[in-house]
Amino acid sequence: MLATYITAIILVFVLTFHLLLESPLTGKTLDDTLTFGAASNNMVYYQVVFGLLLITAVIHGLNGIRAIAVEWLHPKRFCLLLNLIIVVLMAFFLAVGTYTLVVVG
Amino acid sequence: MTEAKRYKAGLIHSLNPLGFNVERWSYALHRATGVVLVGYFMAHIFETLQLSGGSGAWANTMNALHSLGPMEMVGLWIVAGSALYHGANGIRLILNEMFGKLMGKPILPVYPYSPTSLGRDQRIAVWTVTLVVLALWVWAGLYLLAGLGVV
Repeated sequence: MLATYITAIILVFVLTFHLLLESPLTGKTLDDTLTFGAASNNMVYYQVVFGLLLITAVIHGLNGIRAIAVEWLHPKRFCLLLNLIIVVLMAFFLAVGTYTLVVVG
Repeated sequence: MTEAKRYKAGLIHSLNPLGFNVERWSYALHRATGVVLVGYFMAHIFETLQLSGGSGAWANTMNALHSLGPMEMVGLWIVAGSALYHGANGIRLILNEMFGKLMGKPILPVYPYSPTSLGRDQRIAVWTVTLVVLALWVWAGLYLLAGLGVV
């Protein structure tokens, strides 16, 4: 549970920052924020923030799905298999996200 | 009822807030919005991956998304609402569960067993979250669906 709470608190801040970058508060339209230049510049300037967002969102999101699934079915073998699938998915999404951040950033 | 059927009935009932208090509604909405956000997040990872392919790959991705027509913005609006609700309600839950705030003080279990965790402070927090999220969601709708609200 502690990991859920800690990642949730971090996500509140970094996701708010991410949304503000794309928000009307920047004075830009949505189309302006979705150009290749704007999107890749954000990755370059705020690489650490997006890295933190990636890690916390992967852990919080997939662990949340695991928690819902475990409430649904909780035989021991199902839980073990589920944990394995979740860890593999976490590694996969972290790898894809990290690749994007490194190549673009 | 077999054990597996009982577990499944438990899940379905846990997600059905009809006939229960407002906190139960917030519980069901928190779960539902969380699942929506995870689904979007997975797609968003692959969407941003296209940035690594250069401006051509990014333009192709944007064109594919724009080809969805109004559904693209409606989808983003649903994701925005999910993020707003999950985040705001999550702050309330952290105050509850991590810091023990808004919960009331523990009392002896005396009939009719009114839970102190569902007291005045908790209800105010739930309704404040709901109203703030609704206001921001309307703003997000104006921005995403009508291009309005740019400051």
